[in-house]
Amino acid sequence: MKLTTKREDLVSKLSIVSRAVSTRAATQALSGVLLTAKEGRVTLAATDLDLGLETTLDANVENEGATLLPGRLFAEVARSLADPTVEIESREAEHDVEIRSGGSSFHLRVLPVEDFPKLPQPEDEPGLRIPAAALEESIELVARAASRDDMRPVLTGVFVTATGREMTMVATDSYRLAVKRTELESDLGGELEANIPARALRELGRILSSEGAGETTISLLTNQAVFVAGSIILSTRLIDGQFPNFRQLLPESYEHDVRLPRSDFLDVVRRVSQLAQRNAPLRLSFRAGELTVAAETPEVGDARETMPAAFEGEELEIGFNPEFLREGIESVSGDEVLLRLISPLRPGLLEPVEGDEFRYLVMPIRLNV
Amino acid sequence: MGPVPGPSYHLRVSFERCIAHLDMDAFYASVELRRRPELRGKPVVVCGSGPRAVVTTASYEARKLAGIHSAMPAAVARRRLPDAVYLRPDFPAYREASGQVMDVLRRNVEVVEVVGLDEAYLDLTGIFSPKATMRRVASEIREETGLTCSVGISESRMLAKITTELGKPRGLVVLSREQALERFAGHSPGLIPGIGPKTVSRLESMGIKTLADLRDWQRPALEDTFGPRSGAWLYARGNLWDQTPVTPEHETKSQSTEITFDVDVTQRAELERHIAELSEELCRRLRKRELEGRTIGIKVRLDDWTNATRSHTVEKPTNDPEVVGPVALELLRAYDPQRPVRLLGVRVASFEKNEAKAEPEPTPGQLRLGLAS
Repeated sequence: MKLTTKREDLVSKLSIVSRAVSTRAATQALSGVLLTAKEGRVTLAATDLDLGLETTLDANVENEGATLLPGRLFAEVARSLADPTVEIESREAEHDVEIRSGGSSFHLRVLPVEDFPKLPQPEDEPGLRIPAAALEESIELVARAASRDDMRPVLTGVFVTATGREMTMVATDSYRLAVKRTELESDLGGELEANIPARALRELGRILSSEGAGETTISLLTNQAVFVAGSIILSTRLIDGQFPNFRQLLPESYEHDVRLPRSDFLDVVRRVSQLAQRNAPLRLSFRAGELTVAAETPEVGDARETMPAAFEGEELEIGFNPEFLREGIESVSGDEVLLRLISPLRPGLLEPVEGDEFRYLVMPIRLNV
Repeated sequence: MGPVPGPSYHLRVSFERCIAHLDMDAFYASVELRRRPELRGKPVVVCGSGPRAVVTTASYEARKLAGIHSAMPAAVARRRLPDAVYLRPDFPAYREASGQVMDVLRRNVEVVEVVGLDEAYLDLTGIFSPKATMRRVASEIREETGLTCSVGISESRMLAKITTELGKPRGLVVLSREQALERFAGHSPGLIPGIGPKTVSRLESMGIKTLADLRDWQRPALEDTFGPRSGAWLYARGNLWDQTPVTPEHETKSQSTEITFDVDVTQRAELERHIAELSEELCRRLRKRELEGRTIGIKVRLDDWTNATRSHTVEKPTNDPEVVGPVALELLRAYDPQRPVRLLGVRVASFEKNEAKAEPEPTPGQLRLGLAS
């Protein structure tokens, strides 16, 4: 294999696929980036078996072939090069690859290319089509509520269902739950129901925001999903097992509906949270016409701030994890948020004042334990 | 990439996750027998020689004849079976044999996690025939080292470990979670690694005497009694669920050194001298493994078997004996043992590289959604 490419393009494409390079690989091959020049197309690919990323590289190909380079080193070397043009040539006899740029030349020992798994490819017939902007927004709002605890694999995914012109994403780590329903501009051309690892979706979100592709297509294989966004193919395994029925977790009615100015509320929460360290809860005390947010960390200090709030009825004090509450407020769009409460030990709900496109349910912390 | 659904006839193992646990049979004793074949068939016990030494391994003959098992005081073993062959442990030889065994494993299976000298977990998920693979591994071990092993294959680490015991020695047993639930229903929950005698007696006081009893308990009830973390854990283990991955590099959570005195020590100066020595030895080991920890602790066992641990967390991770020694000394002085000391230990934990990975503990009092899953 022999090809010439632009340093800039190589660096940016490597930074995309590198995110799938395995850091604690079971097989050496998974720590590599596969560079393939075939039928006039040059691709870079990496996978850790959970997530696979593949993208094209603009290059002039002199000889076709494929080679597996140590991922991290290859990316670092590419980034360090001074000249805008890079020549890459594999030297079969030496079992290495020569990288030449300006006056520098590197020889990188290659990894066994036959050990690199074949990445799932999108199906030939057009898959489901989802506007990239809608997908990106849903991922941003929902994926962070997914669990990072491998003890309960089902909760580490985002449950995505879509049919016709409607898509719903939901995720929960059992402390909070985020649901986003989206009306799509066009029919997606099929049905989708899958529990997709949140990590893969976060990666997809990152790609969508930088690629600027208008549309994403999705192919569902037996236990894999393959997304195509512009020149990037992202494949991910799907999570097995029953995702909890989230609808039954959303309370049917609430005792208090408190409208709060979103940015003021967010500022107060952020300020006071500084003194809610080491797992300390944030205390929200509601009384007629006002809300006091307070926090205390033993041996560090305390903070409190009162803001006007349209609250009526008997006083109510409820505790929340500062981070869960902040992320909830951040996720609600609009000038105001609606905070709906039942009692100090029942879940609270954050949602926009109008519409039910997004809901964020958060469990309280029992105070005075 | 998930497991490839293949043809399923009854002999084929087709677990979604497939984990094998391999345990060498009476490892130290077997290594000794290998170089002293004249001892074959005789009861052999490997143990130290001090008055407080414990049994490291006993050959199957010694186990059968007198119920001698590892961790039993050597003195008891000698009393029960004075005619057995008693050997001092030769760790360099065991390490070498262990290295040969683990080489065989790594040659055959990609994901191997070695735990100790004579045990390993292997992730066989997606491998076409786990049983054939492990049979090959066992026979290669036997050919190359002359040692035998037992293997358990199941759907998780925990189940694999329990399964191994069923076939000992020289067994290869495959057990699904369903089969395990049935088979162990009447067993004590103590069967499960991680459920120790204290938890067992606590469970018994709640009327939970068997695994079947434990399964009858719902998660919220267990969480109320044992706290959210342990409760959830017990609930999962009671149902024989375990998702712990097989991680090729065994992560060290803490390192410690300890010494059991041949004669209980009362002299403060002598204890303090031991603290300094233990700290130095420990730091030497930490440096060798490039580990630095923030929590420094001591362990003291008194002559009446009271155990005490004390620990202190320092600002910066360390493996410097000039830091660990004085902190350990302070802890000992603060504890101020009021009886003769039988055992003394120094420990360092909270290693930097572990800390970054740890899931944040949920806040005390944090409530959960009632997820039915």
